[in-house]
Amino acid sequence: MNKDFKQTSRSGSVSWLLQRISAVILFVLMMLHFVTYHFLGKGKPVNYHWVMSKVGNWWFPLLQFAFLITALYHGLNGLWSVLEDYTTSKFWRLVWYSLLLTVGMILLFVGVLTIIKLYTLKIA
Amino acid sequence: MYKRTRFYDFTYYNFIGTWAWVLHRLAGLALIFYLSLHIWVINSLTYGEKTFNDVMIFLSSPLFKLLEVGLWGVILFHAFNGVRIVIVDFFKGSLAQKKWFVLLIAIAFVLWALGSYLILSHVF
Repeated sequence: MNKDFKQTSRSGSVSWLLQRISAVILFVLMMLHFVTYHFLGKGKPVNYHWVMSKVGNWWFPLLQFAFLITALYHGLNGLWSVLEDYTTSKFWRLVWYSLLLTVGMILLFVGVLTIIKLYTLKIA
Repeated sequence: MYKRTRFYDFTYYNFIGTWAWVLHRLAGLALIFYLSLHIWVINSLTYGEKTFNDVMIFLSSPLFKLLEVGLWGVILFHAFNGVRIVIVDFFKGSLAQKKWFVLLIAIAFVLWALGSYLILSHVF
């Protein structure tokens, strides 16, 4: 093996596999999401009372959390694999990777906060 | 040093697969951008009914409904081309990947037309 390729010794095959597994999960969840939120209501905008009537169910926050974490992982991992293709310098890879990780953490925090707040609002 | 990939290095004969790859990436970039906005907007549910309904009225203008139709199309392209990627990678689909592309995009197009009809039927 050429020594120039040493830095690619971690081949990324695990994230390749996880990208496909998360894709299959997302395909199912996304179709269910569109059918239940948008098409069963014949395309009318989602209204507050309809959402609030659902959030009290125990499975609702779990499903939303699963959707959130799979979508964020798939999206940011996908973005990372695009950036990896165009960024050869170790420095910029580290910069981009840290940026994606930070953005991911912030979005996860906002998403989880929404799920927990809605659930406790309904339960209280 | 290995040659850096340039975005114009598309000198492949197999142009359906290449353009599917390009569009899949562009769609993915658009979707991770949208996911960030979506998580932020849905957080407004926690500020109560008035805030959420104001946001939904703002997002129900014809401009946003047209963007929603575009979003549904981008999601369907990414999802159904993603199915083709999984078939190619795990089920020896590379032998017939162009046929898979045509079949899956045809299904996606029908779903896009149905969904778009429902979304736009409340605008005009």
